[in-house]
Amino acid sequence: MLKPNLNRIKGRFAEIIIGGVLIVALASTARAQDVANALATATVQTAITVSASQPLDFGNVFQGIPKSIGDNMDDSSAIFIITGQAGAGINIQFSLPEYLSLPDGSDRMSIVFRSTDAAVDTSNTATPSTMAAGNGWVNQNPYLLPSAAVIGSPGSNTKIYLGGRVVPSGNQKAGVYSGDIVLSVFYNGL
Amino acid sequence: MIENKELLRKLSPVPFGVSAILLILILSMTAELFAGVLVAPTVVFLSDKSRTGRLTIQNPSNLPKDVTISFSFGLPASDSLGDIYLTLQDSNVTDPRSALEWVKAFPRKVVLPPNGSQVVRVVANPPAGLADGEYWARIVIAAQEGETTIPASGENGGISTKLNMVTQTAIVLKYRTGALLSDLQLQGVAVQKTPNQVWAIVDLLNRGNVSYVGILKCRLLDQNSNEISANQVDLAVYRNLKRRIALPLINSKIPAQIEISISNEGRTDIAPEDVIPGNKISYNLKVE
Repeated sequence: MLKPNLNRIKGRFAEIIIGGVLIVALASTARAQDVANALATATVQTAITVSASQPLDFGNVFQGIPKSIGDNMDDSSAIFIITGQAGAGINIQFSLPEYLSLPDGSDRMSIVFRSTDAAVDTSNTATPSTMAAGNGWVNQNPYLLPSAAVIGSPGSNTKIYLGGRVVPSGNQKAGVYSGDIVLSVFYNGL
Repeated sequence: MIENKELLRKLSPVPFGVSAILLILILSMTAELFAGVLVAPTVVFLSDKSRTGRLTIQNPSNLPKDVTISFSFGLPASDSLGDIYLTLQDSNVTDPRSALEWVKAFPRKVVLPPNGSQVVRVVANPPAGLADGEYWARIVIAAQEGETTIPASGENGGISTKLNMVTQTAIVLKYRTGALLSDLQLQGVAVQKTPNQVWAIVDLLNRGNVSYVGILKCRLLDQNSNEISANQVDLAVYRNLKRRIALPLINSKIPAQIEISISNEGRTDIAPEDVIPGNKISYNLKVE
């Protein structure tokens, strides 16, 4: 009596698992089709995509107390992901702010990027905290990133990790200070 | 029914509720992973016969994106070590091969909705009497989050920061007119040696009137012409360029030989009809 029931439940369980897998697969397929639609206008070169998956997050800052975020902090380093054709040479450049400003422009706060505040990960396996020399380039100057950088393989992506340091003055006004971090990426073989 | 649920729970390696949450998490993570805009194609070719082109910008993320399209001028250049860099110029471009002044894009600013896409049209209006050859510009596509959440400043007059992450890519625009010539000259090869590898720095000069787009292949051979290692890079030579290529000395020692070949055959990333066939270069060099 119990055995057929058990088989039916096993079957339903399998259906649930298969359903879940199908949903994931369909989501991936839908995305792949989106990409394919974009590529339909192109040749066979893999389009380059640059995205920022995590902003540089200093959290709360206190007057007169500088605060640093390294490029090795999983929850607060900036993370950029470049996807494209594996092995293709790329040129990577940062344009970084010197100050962050209040929305009304009434005060600004100094921000500094030191010569070791960036890392370039071509391994597809590291995170900011596990990044090592074998994964790409560590302790890089964000103003002069490696010219030999390529789109990593496997994974067809390269990640850039960035840290920085804000230096609030003793009488820094309260508020939210903002600025732009611009990452530019180009294929260099076209 | 209750019995069935209990059995189901026993059969499942993890509770069903946890599985559902995990599934939702996986889906949301895949969506976030692809945040950013995708631009295709990677090169826009225009000509005196077809002065308009198009590119597609796609937002595969779940957030709207502010996208701006502009033009710059910049050619891959190299330093003495063969490292490649590219500097974009927005104004005061004096290069006679610049198309910067006479290309336009429509639209130049767009808010892309989640999972939305936009076709951008590119139009060339070259001056009369343009000399034969290829003219260049870069189409710069900058994107950032369309809706940003401003963090609340800390209590009691706290200070916080909001850094806008702007991503930018520049694709090549090439305008071609008249008779086209693709011709590359090998000016020399310098060699650097370390205990584990040999570096070849290949010095190239473009003598044609189009960019030479091809592949630089290098092989390191031992004294019996057996291959020790090989490497290749995609090549785009607009004026002159040095490219450095690494050849590992796998369980081998010099003396050895470097075999260099350059050709614009084999580029699978460019449609064959867009390749201007050029000369081939073969060169051998002893490493002692």
